[in-house]
Formats: sequence, C-alpha cells, structure tokens
Amino acid sequence: MNATAAITREEAMVRLAAIAGPADTRIDGDAICVAPGSTEQIAEVLRFANECGLSVVPTGSGSKLGWGNPVAPELFLGLGRVNAVREHAWQDMTCTVEAGCAWAAMQSELARHGQMVALDPLWPERATVGGVLAANDSGALRLRYGGLRDLVIGMTMALADGTIAKSGGKVVKNVAGYDLHKLMTGSFGTLGVITEVNFRLHPVEQCARTFTVGAQYGAQLAGPLAELLHAQIAPSAVQLRTAAGQCALDVRLCTRPECLDGLTDQLRKIFNGMAVQEVDGRVWQAREQLFCEAGATVVKGSLLPAELCATADDLKETAVAKSVDVSIVAQATGLMTAALADRRGAERDSIVTMIEQLRERLRPSGGSVVILQTPDALRGKIDVWDCRSDALPLMREIKRRFDPNRTLSPGRFVGGI
Amino acid sequence: MLPHGQIDELRAAVGAGGLITAESQLQTYECDGLTNFRVLPGAVVLPQTIEQVQAVVRICARHKIPFVSRGAGTGLSGGALPAAGGVVISLARMNRILDVDIANRYVIVEPGVINAHVTQRVAADGYFYAPDPSSQSVCTIGGNVAENSGGAHCLKYGFTVTHTLALEVVLPSGELAHFGSPTLDAPGYDLAGVFVGSEGTLGIATKVTLRIVRRPEMVQTLLAAFPTPSAAGQTVSDIIAAGMLPAALEIMDTLAIEAAEAAVHAHYPKCGGLLLVELDGACDEVEILMREVRAIAEKNGAAEIRVAQSEAERALIWKGRKAAFAAVGRISPNYIVQDGVIPRTALPRVLADIERMSGAVNLRVANVFHAGDGNLHPLVLYDRSIEGQEEIALDLSYRILNLCVDNGGSITGEHGVGKEKQQALGYMFAEPDLETMQLVRCAFDPESLSNPDKVFPRPRLCADKPGPYTPHPLETAGVAEIF
Ligand SMILES: Cc1cc2nc3c(=O)[nH]c(=O)nc-3n(C[C@H](O)[C@H](O)[C@H](O)COP(=O)(O)OP(=O)(O)OC[C@H]3O[C@@H](n4cnc5c(N)ncnc54)[C@H](O)[C@@H]3O)c2cc1C
Repeated sequence: MNATAAITREEAMVRLAAIAGPADTRIDGDAICVAPGSTEQIAEVLRFANECGLSVVPTGSGSKLGWGNPVAPELFLGLGRVNAVREHAWQDMTCTVEAGCAWAAMQSELARHGQMVALDPLWPERATVGGVLAANDSGALRLRYGGLRDLVIGMTMALADGTIAKSGGKVVKNVAGYDLHKLMTGSFGTLGVITEVNFRLHPVEQCARTFTVGAQYGAQLAGPLAELLHAQIAPSAVQLRTAAGQCALDVRLCTRPECLDGLTDQLRKIFNGMAVQEVDGRVWQAREQLFCEAGATVVKGSLLPAELCATADDLKETAVAKSVDVSIVAQATGLMTAALADRRGAERDSIVTMIEQLRERLRPSGGSVVILQTPDALRGKIDVWDCRSDALPLMREIKRRFDPNRTLSPGRFVGGI
Repeated sequence: MLPHGQIDELRAAVGAGGLITAESQLQTYECDGLTNFRVLPGAVVLPQTIEQVQAVVRICARHKIPFVSRGAGTGLSGGALPAAGGVVISLARMNRILDVDIANRYVIVEPGVINAHVTQRVAADGYFYAPDPSSQSVCTIGGNVAENSGGAHCLKYGFTVTHTLALEVVLPSGELAHFGSPTLDAPGYDLAGVFVGSEGTLGIATKVTLRIVRRPEMVQTLLAAFPTPSAAGQTVSDIIAAGMLPAALEIMDTLAIEAAEAAVHAHYPKCGGLLLVELDGACDEVEILMREVRAIAEKNGAAEIRVAQSEAERALIWKGRKAAFAAVGRISPNYIVQDGVIPRTALPRVLADIERMSGAVNLRVANVFHAGDGNLHPLVLYDRSIEGQEEIALDLSYRILNLCVDNGGSITGEHGVGKEKQQALGYMFAEPDLETMQLVRCAFDPESLSNPDKVFPRPRLCADKPGPYTPHPLETAGVAEIF
C-alpha cells in the first residue's frame, strides 16, 4: 500500500474478502485483485477503496489494460464474475448484459434469435462488454451501424463513492435525463465502473460477401473508394489495408440474396479494370493482427474519411525512408489502426518522429493519433493521448465531481485525468 | 425587469437592435410550443456572433442572471420557457451554413439554421440531413441539438445525436469550448454526446458539425388499413422480426385519422389503425421488401393496402401524418401532446390501458405513434372552458407517462423533459441517478444559470460532495499531460 493509504494491505484484504468472498480476493504482485459478484458488491468495494485512499482500476479480461497512460493501482477490480446476459427481449430487439460478459459470449447468446450488437471490437472472445465500452472500441461495421454511442441505450454504473446510478433505459428512443452512458463510453474507467449495459440490437447479417481489390498505392484506390461510398451500394463494411508495401481495399456487401449479384456487378464497375476478388470473411480480423507484431507500436488515428488513402501512402513512404515497417488497417469511417515497428531497434526515435508528424498532418482537420500499445523503451518519450481540446478543463472538472479522490484509474486518461 | 445597469451592459454587448425590453415585445417570448406555461423574461437578446453570445453570457454569469437559449420556440416541453426576470438568448439571427464538405459528408452550421435548410443545401449533391422532426420547416438545429430531436425517420437513421459530430459551445461561464471533431473518436470524454439532449442546461451551442447522409435511390411508402391499432402494431413487430429496418413505421388511430383528414385531406382510408410503412434503399431491394411488407400486412388482416404511386402521393401521405398534432385542434378545442415510449411489444397492452384510463374520466385520446421505436404521441383532447377539465386532462396525460415507465419505457422519446415533465423524470429515475446527472450539470454550470429549474424534479445546489480533493501534484505543476 502506498503512503497515502489509510490501511495496511492485510486489513484491506480482510475487508475486501468480507465483501466479495475470500475465494475472489487475492494478492497479485503489488496489488490486490478482487472480483465482486454483483453490482452492489462492486459499489461496496469502491466505497471502501475510496474511503481508504486505495486506487482502483476496473478490469474485464485485461485485453486493453495497457491502453492509456500506465497506472499501478492498489486494487484491480475484476468484472469476471458479473458476466450474465440478463435479458434478451428479442421481439423488442434489445438486451441487458453484465459488464464482465465476453463480447463473443454475448453475441452467441443473441444469435439464438438471429440478432447481434452490431459492433465488431478487437478480440471478441476475450474482450468484455465493459472493457469494449470503456475503451470505446469499434471495427469495420461502424460504417453501417454506427459506434457505441448509437448502440448503447442504457447503463448501470457504480461511482467511486459507492453510488449506483442508471441512465437511459431499455427503449431505443429516449431523451429523458442526461445520457450518462455516453459520458462513460470511452472514459477508460476514470469516472465509474460500468456494471450493466442495455444495447439496441440488429439482425445478424444473413447474406454477406466480402471482396478485395489490390493496388500498389492508396492513391489508386481513393477515387473508387469515394465513388463506392457515394453509390447506392451501402456496403456494411469497408477497410483499407496496407502491409509489406501493398494496399488492398476490402468491401463487405450485405443485402437480400436476390440482390447480391446486382450489387456485385455495380462494385466491379466502380473498380473498372482492377481485379475484384471474392475473399474469406477473415480479412475483417486484420486489425487484430496489428497487435501481434512483436515490439510494434500500435496507434489509433482519427482522420477525415477522404484523407485515408493519401495518409496511408504518406505513412508508407516515410516508413520506408526510416526503415520502419508499417501495417495499416483503416475503416472507411476514417478510423485507422497502424502498427509501426522499427527494424533497427525499439529505442530509436524514428517512430516517435513519425507519430508526431502524423499528428501535425491531421491536426488542421481535427484529427488525432492515440497510442494504444508501445514498447517500454518508447513510453515516456511521447504523449499517449493527442488531446489538445480546449474542453480539457471541463473534463477535469467532471472527473473532480465524479471522483474527487482520484480513486479510479488515476492518471490513465487525457490530460492526466 | 432587469436593473438599468444590466440592461445597459446587454445593450453594449449586442447593440440596441439586438435587445428587446418592451413588455409588448417580450410577450412573443413568454412561451414555446407548450403554451400553457408562460413567464415573461426580463430581456431578450438576439446576438449575431459567437463573441456577442459570450459577452451576454459573461454578463449573466457576473450578475448571476439566469438565461435561457431559444431557437424557434417550437419545443413541446417548455424547454425555452424563460426564467422569471432572466434573459432569453435567441439564436435566430445566427443562421448561416458555414461549411459544406460533401467528400467527408458533413456540414457546419450556426445554431439558428432551420433544420430543413440543411437538407436543401446538400440535396443537389444527392445528400440529406436525416433527423426530420415534423416541425422541420421551422425548428432550428440548436433546438434539435438541445432536445436530441428525432422524427419519423429516426427508426433507421437515428436521432440528432447520431448525426452530431462536433459542437462549439459557450459554457455558462462565458468561455468557449469545442466538443468532438469532424473526425470520429476525438480523445477525451464524449462531451458532444452528453451535450446533445441536455435541453439547454449545459450551455449554448454556437456551431454544430452535422453528418449528412446519401439520399437513397428509391423511396416507397405504403398505407395499410387495419381494424385496430393493435393489428397495425402486430404488423410492425412482424416486419421487424423479419429482419427489415424500414425508414419509417407510423401508426394513427381513428381519431387521429379523422383529424388529419379534416385538416389536409390526405385521402386516408377510414379504419381503426392506419399503418404507414416507408422503405428506402437500392431499387431492387426496396421492391423485394415491399412485397414482403404487403404479405405481412395481409396476414394481419389489412383491409386495404395502397402504395404511393408518385412523389406527390407520397408527400400527401406525409403531410397528413406531420399535420396530425395541429389537426387535432379541429376536432377538439384544446389538447395535450404527450411523448411516451414503450417497448414495441407492449403496444397492445398499453393501448388498452390508455383506452380504459381515458374512458374512466370521459376524455378522448387520439393516438399517433412512431411505432417502429415504440414512441407514442397520445393526444389528450379536452375543453378548457369546462371547469376542471384541464386538470383532469393533465392528470391523465401524466398517468399515461407513468404507464409507459411501468411498461419498461420512457417519459419522453423526443420532446424532452423541460418544464412539463420534471416530476415525471423523478418517477422514471431514482434519486442516485438524478444526483449523478447533477454532477454533470454542476461541472458545466455550478451556478445553475443555464436554463435553471428545468428537467430535474427539484432545484438542486451544486455543493461539492463530501471528501477532500487534493489536486494531483503533476496537475498543479501543469505537467499532467506528459506522464
Ligand atoms: C407541430 C410540431 C411538431 C413537432 N414534431 C416533432 C418531432 O417530430 N420530433 C421532435 O423531436 N420534436 C418535434 N417537435 C418539437 C420541437 O420542434 C423540437 O423539440 C425542436 O428541436 C425545437 O427546436 P426549436 O428551434 O424550436 O427550439 P426551442 O423550442 O426554441 O428550444 C428548445 C430547447 O432548446 C434549447 N436551445 C435552443 N437553442 C439552443 C442552443 N443553440 N444551444 C443550447 N440550447 C438551445 C432551449 O433552451 C430549449 O430548452 C414538434 C413541435 C411542433 C410544434
């Protein structure tokens, strides 16, 4: 326990075990890991930690624990035991899920009635609902279905002082009260612990086909991409991939079976003269693979959609000049994930320079680059968050109101929140 | 009336042409679309620039004068109702479309821009602005943002929040802040997401970046006449269960049909429950789906099915639907518009309860719903000249909202809580929920100056919660950004 804690570790263990049960309270390295079994227990753990000055990081499976600024809390609050799909009102196309439920486990439950939460986050087998929300992750489906802001319709959360609060509800259309769930989404566990989530659902995509078009440069794909998005094809997902110097554009079409051939013809016309190949749906997992490259720095870029291809080309070119390997998976929405690995060793600053240049490039149009994963050698050399917002004082004030003792994930978020 | 000194300051901020203090003129601003609540403001200002808005808000902050922003005043929950003796800040003169970026599918507008003008501006390029409140030819984007307004087409396209990428906001301190970005997922809390729907209580939006959507290749609209609203409701459920997401699914009951007919002669079939289904998308897909919709409607006993054969026919169908509220004025001297939401499947049960409840007090209720998302607009008809009837009607309308909550729904789907439903919000949310929402309010507006005494059931003070706050040392040193 650090100097500010008003309690010894042994005392804390006893108190926590009394709340969550001894089997779910253990010591791991410098921290205590506790896994409460209900929203009420989560709230009790928080109240206790908050009173005793113990810092807390909520965790699902820990798949994105490395995102944001590093935090070494006294307490890891695991959501693993609150993991049920509480309700699937399939006729109303809504569901209520506990935050510790793995994304894929939730989806397979919903699939029994042919429905899904229309979002494809990273590592669905492991990533929990709460973690996906806290990190505001999203994948290629966002083009058609929107992000979590559009899919989450209600939430239960526990605040640092043990308050349990709800916002939204179980109906899709609802403007009663402030949408606290929108504030919690993407807040990286700094305002409260998400314990339960209500989603709106969509039918599982029945008849989907994926096509790929290859090119040497993004620039060759920019025109057809713009045309594709303007056409009446309404693809459910589109991503630009670059790896080993080559580019590819993946397009998923999803419509009634009778209409698929017509759409495919239109697609071929748009890519007039280029080879349009039907491929396996696994290309949509390309984003995950970026995180597997050993020693790579992985960033999330927010770009204007029309800047995608040129930005990817630019990044590729700089990378060659700096002996950096770069792989990119970018959604047509303008969200880009890029992995950068320096062939001549992680301690060189070339990646830092590249990220800074990219930030400069995107700044004028409001874009940003956030570092998701980076080797220790680069940590501290560059700001993880690229937040230049004049709303930062307001964000700090919100944090202060929600968590005055800085109990929750202190320092993890933008501006040291 | 405000003290002379304060009036002088306001005049200096917006110029004499931007200030209203004469009582006869102030009366124009004493209510919004919910006309049974009226309060005379101390002054009305009509700023034309962001700097003027800031200057006015700073004056209010300095003297602790409550202020209420106002768009077109079409709100139906008393959101733009002035604070007694406070300042009304009308954004009507800030009505320029500042930027149109078709390649990136967004527009940047000032808050006083009329909703329909956004679509008009981008229509030639094949785009439209999706949220379409029935009031869209007059209501403003600022008001839409504050209410998170919807419309008939939000079933498929989402609400104002779905289409709001970024906001420029004058905070209740007078400071300017920017939320979100034209690019997705700007780092930091999603303050744009929180501000949309906050009903003018968190500050004033002075610039809004809106997403625009590609206009679909084909739109088809079908009318199906059913013996009861419940049969129409079952059809809605079946359409959705078949995996379709129509652009709109609307139901009107006999009274609403009668009213709409009287007002705009939409040539609706006479029936117990009229269903309007609109499908849009690529031509061949729409045609296939329309056949499926027809089959479902027939299965559920539709007596008559019509598909609009021309754009003019389609427009007429919508004209009748969009005129429904006002049209009710033709069959009743007075009426109350309510805005509850229920899970779709609860529709038959809730309709039966409403019928029973209205029968018990001898009042008529006309029903218009955005059925696809369970958003009911019960219109409680009454006659103010009959003593005591207004109270009975109001009471009935609030009990209908409670009924919606009891059935797992909400007290408002698009009109907002405002002044009208403050108590109902307390029925829907528990005290800890409201306290937590209040934390947000206090972070934005510690003095509760921006649209005070709205939304929440009772006035609250922003006293800090107990517990010492010590700034992080790095924060005090100003280096918090880099660790
Ligand atoms: C006939 C009729 C039909 C309607 N149909 C629909 C419908 O289908 N769907 C729907 O959602 N609504 C509907 N409404 C309600 C109303 O039109 C909407 O709520 C609309 O968004 C209000 O816009 P306004 O410009 O009139 O705002 P106002 O009524 O002037 O203000 C509404 C609220 O917004 C705040 N506000 C205004 N401007 C700003 C700003 N710049 N920054 C911060 N806060 C601001 C005000 O303080 C107030 O709280 C209807 C109303 C009528 C009269």
